[in-house]
Amino acid sequence: MALQVPVATASATPAPDRPAQSRPKKKGRGWAGRLEHWLYLAPALIVLIALLGYPLYQLINMSLYDYRQAQVSGKAPLNFTGLENYRILVSDPEFWTVLGNTVVFATACVVFTLLVGGALAVFATRLRPWVRTTLFAVSLGAWATPAVTGSAVWLFLFDSTQGLVNKVLAGIGLSGFSDFSWTYEKWTAFGLVASEVVWCSFPFVMVTVYAGIQAIPTEVVEAARLDGASMPRIFTNIMLPMLRPIVMIVTIQSIIWNFKIFSQIYIMTNGGGIAGQNMVLNVYSYQQAFAASLYGLGSALGVIMTVLLMVITLVYLRLLKRSGEVL
Amino acid sequence: MTTLKVSQPGSVTPRRRAKERKSRKGWGSNAVGLLIAAFVAFPLYWMLLSALKPKTALDAGDSTPWTLTPSFDSFARVLSVNNFGQYFLNSVIVALSVVVLSTVLAFLAAVALTRYNFKMRTKLLIIILVAQMVPIEALTIPLFFLFKGFGEAIPAVGLNHLGSLILVHVGFSIPFAIWMLRGFVAAVPIELEEAAKLDGASSFRFVRSVLFPLVAPGVVACSVFSFISTWNDFLFAKTFIISAQENSTMPMALLTFFKPDQNDWGAIMAGSVIMTIPVLIFFIAVQRKLVSGLAGAVKG
Amino acid sequence: MKFSRTLAVAALAAMALTSCAPPTSNNAASSVDESTGTLRVWLFSEVNQAPKSAVVDATVKEFEAAHKDVKVDVQYIPVDTRAEKFKAAFNDPSSAPDVAEFGNTDLASYVAAGGLSDLTGDIKGWDEGKDLDPKVLATTAIDGKNYGVPWFVGVRALYYRTDILKAAGVAVPKTMAEIETAARTVRAANPDMLGISVGGKAQFSALPFLWAHGGSIATAKGGTFTAELDSAKSRAGITAYTNLMKDDICPPATCAEFGGNASVQQFIAGKAAMTIGGDFNYKAVSESAFKDSFAVVPVPGVTAGSIAPAFAGGNNLGVFTSSKRHTLSADFVKALASKKSQQAMFDAMGNLPTFTDVQKSVAEKNPQVAPFIATIAAGTNFVPITDTWSTIDAKGTFTGMYQQIVTGKADVDTASKDASDAMNKIFAAK
Repeated sequence: MALQVPVATASATPAPDRPAQSRPKKKGRGWAGRLEHWLYLAPALIVLIALLGYPLYQLINMSLYDYRQAQVSGKAPLNFTGLENYRILVSDPEFWTVLGNTVVFATACVVFTLLVGGALAVFATRLRPWVRTTLFAVSLGAWATPAVTGSAVWLFLFDSTQGLVNKVLAGIGLSGFSDFSWTYEKWTAFGLVASEVVWCSFPFVMVTVYAGIQAIPTEVVEAARLDGASMPRIFTNIMLPMLRPIVMIVTIQSIIWNFKIFSQIYIMTNGGGIAGQNMVLNVYSYQQAFAASLYGLGSALGVIMTVLLMVITLVYLRLLKRSGEVL
Repeated sequence: MTTLKVSQPGSVTPRRRAKERKSRKGWGSNAVGLLIAAFVAFPLYWMLLSALKPKTALDAGDSTPWTLTPSFDSFARVLSVNNFGQYFLNSVIVALSVVVLSTVLAFLAAVALTRYNFKMRTKLLIIILVAQMVPIEALTIPLFFLFKGFGEAIPAVGLNHLGSLILVHVGFSIPFAIWMLRGFVAAVPIELEEAAKLDGASSFRFVRSVLFPLVAPGVVACSVFSFISTWNDFLFAKTFIISAQENSTMPMALLTFFKPDQNDWGAIMAGSVIMTIPVLIFFIAVQRKLVSGLAGAVKG
Repeated sequence: MKFSRTLAVAALAAMALTSCAPPTSNNAASSVDESTGTLRVWLFSEVNQAPKSAVVDATVKEFEAAHKDVKVDVQYIPVDTRAEKFKAAFNDPSSAPDVAEFGNTDLASYVAAGGLSDLTGDIKGWDEGKDLDPKVLATTAIDGKNYGVPWFVGVRALYYRTDILKAAGVAVPKTMAEIETAARTVRAANPDMLGISVGGKAQFSALPFLWAHGGSIATAKGGTFTAELDSAKSRAGITAYTNLMKDDICPPATCAEFGGNASVQQFIAGKAAMTIGGDFNYKAVSESAFKDSFAVVPVPGVTAGSIAPAFAGGNNLGVFTSSKRHTLSADFVKALASKKSQQAMFDAMGNLPTFTDVQKSVAEKNPQVAPFIATIAAGTNFVPITDTWSTIDAKGTFTGMYQQIVTGKADVDTASKDASDAMNKIFAAK
């Protein structure tokens, strides 16, 4: 049927050549086409402008004032302070340490989440249906567990004296672990939290990449296999290029989320670790600003975080552009 | 997820042969798959176990991986939270509404941003991406006042009403959903659209009857994501529902058991188990529904 | 990139055109004082809610009977949501309650936000008011005005294992220094046990040590506070506490990160010979495996026979400024915080009362709370009552200091000086 058309042409059209830019070259949509896309966009845009645009504007606005609960409740007058909040943040050495922590921690989480999720997605295609469903079901359970609960469970499993992990490790002979505190040292604490984050984030990557693999017409893969190509070869030369848009979105999403992690760090390191050694930006923002209702300072941090993420993402997109993927 | 594979067009015979070839060699991989599943499931098992352990064991920090005296007391405590059924229902209403609304709006927007080329397209895509980067905690005050204002015009979407939760979560789910669906829409070959046009189908008909079912896997991923993030949200549940407790959602029931320095871990775990089950049900339901949709698309 | 420039210009233009200030609400004190209608009350929900509800319902019934055309609508909110809910109530007076229960450490920030009414007059005019424990009442005072009525108080004392101490031949500590020696001896005899389980983050366990040595967190001088952590007495108090977190008593690797509850849990699990726990921990300990082999004494002070000043935790009842029924609300507060009601709350929940005479009678009838009542009677203390303290608390400056010392990152002198400087900066920023 109509669906068989792409079968013949798909192999002749290598994936990277299918970006949207090639489309306008075809005959234009003419008449209603010029307005059609705005019609489709309108509902989403209206919601976004109202719910994200306005608050974003206010975020920048609030960051320029000394804006606390007293001001919000109307008890104290508003005081425009310009870039003072930013100055306070930038001149705090702890801010820079926390920033460094966040970059390293988030990068590790992103890398491992992508690796685990992607690998399991490909692996899942080779499994029997019931095994795959089981894997997906438990992964979904991991994804759906509230961050609070997941963190608490992991924290308890790795408790220094009463945790199961230490008991098992000590039991198999590694006696150094019998009361080893995973959260005492800075980087073991980060490692522990990163493991929990990967555990609850990989399902998203796995499901999405798997869905992407599903969307690849099997004929293409079959044709390649019949031609004698090995599985890894098929993966890198055929599947991966077709999965590019999906891998890109999944990577950017992971970067954005992992940069903004809060609950897991807060709970597993008891509020940022010993003497604040495990703080990441969102926890820092909470402790320095929002817990004490210093909304102006918190907004400035929010703006800084957004700008940082923008820079990181744009760098990533630029890299992609260079390797052929176009928006 | 097998059911999604059935949707793939093409002749049946070579696929069946390939499948048989696979299953005969698959024992090793399948065993590894099960092992991985067990590993992933262990914290979930621990959650369930802690929900079933008696309170004294939990208070003492008992860490045996099983319990010989399981008790449903924790579940009883959770279910006896005042208005628990109402909170559960509210969560379901909010989550399902968000899924439907955000998926529809995001899908249309994704189509517009992918299949049409217009000047603002890249800028809009970037803006939508940037919108996701803002830490939500920083936005709660402006959003609070925004919804306070909304409430004065349309009470149903104002503070203390479920409408405010639905609307705010739709707003926060759309950017991600657009980007996600964009990838899937982009992966549908342009030839299909041309073929449909040749057949005389209108553009919207194509979008609705052909394009939408084809990006069904992406829609599944999106809807699961929106469902989970709405279902597990604590922040807006705490911030927007102030005095009308009957409009609170499930996280509020869970928060009852958090007392600084005296958390009731058994009830928290039991509550989390209760909270996780509907998500699994939703996933299974969505997965099945999609099969019929896809089968229809293939036949058509 | 070109688009970002146009975007920036557009954004600036928009801001210049609208030049809106950040959103504010008007939470001014209400000018009306109605005497009928529905009174909205927010109380904290408990894990074991039924007993509390029973006591409150009884009070409500009596109140409604005594006041014509008045209904009381009580809502129980989870403690963990209080920050968001109270801020929302201040920002949206139409959603605000008339009466609320709140933690006494939250009082200063609520008053700074202009959310709580001055109740000094109401307390003075209350005949039962004169029996309120003066130190506990002082926790509700800012600039001489009381913004809440203390509803219940919670303090910490020294829990110890009678069997372990006996086996090690150690007497029950009668001075603060003896706590240290006893803990060391016990751990030497039982290397698997913590001599005493305390935590680097358990600030309310650390405070008695600070105060017993004559130290303090900060002193109020003419409207602002000045940190005192670097004074000689404070340093002695800090050292006394951090000495407990050494490898021969409570190893830093284990204990540096403990908060109050985590350290008590070690005791309940049988892994510690002593701990500093609250009256609210008593139930859990008495249901543990060691229910028959533990006892409680007040945390001893520096000299024999003295009791170290404890931190007076607890909750207050207050009236919102936005309330349209101030008098009625104040009356309800008095009803709920009355001696009769507090006695009922003790019977139902174990909440220690805030009236000195009720405290005495409760101690006489219930010997297990005697050590806690004795601690309260010896005089409690509090953290600086200013909203800047919540900033300091959120940043973890105070507990961070202890953790730095315990983990060896800084010595007592440096850490206390750094903490004092940091606190002074914040106190002054007001």
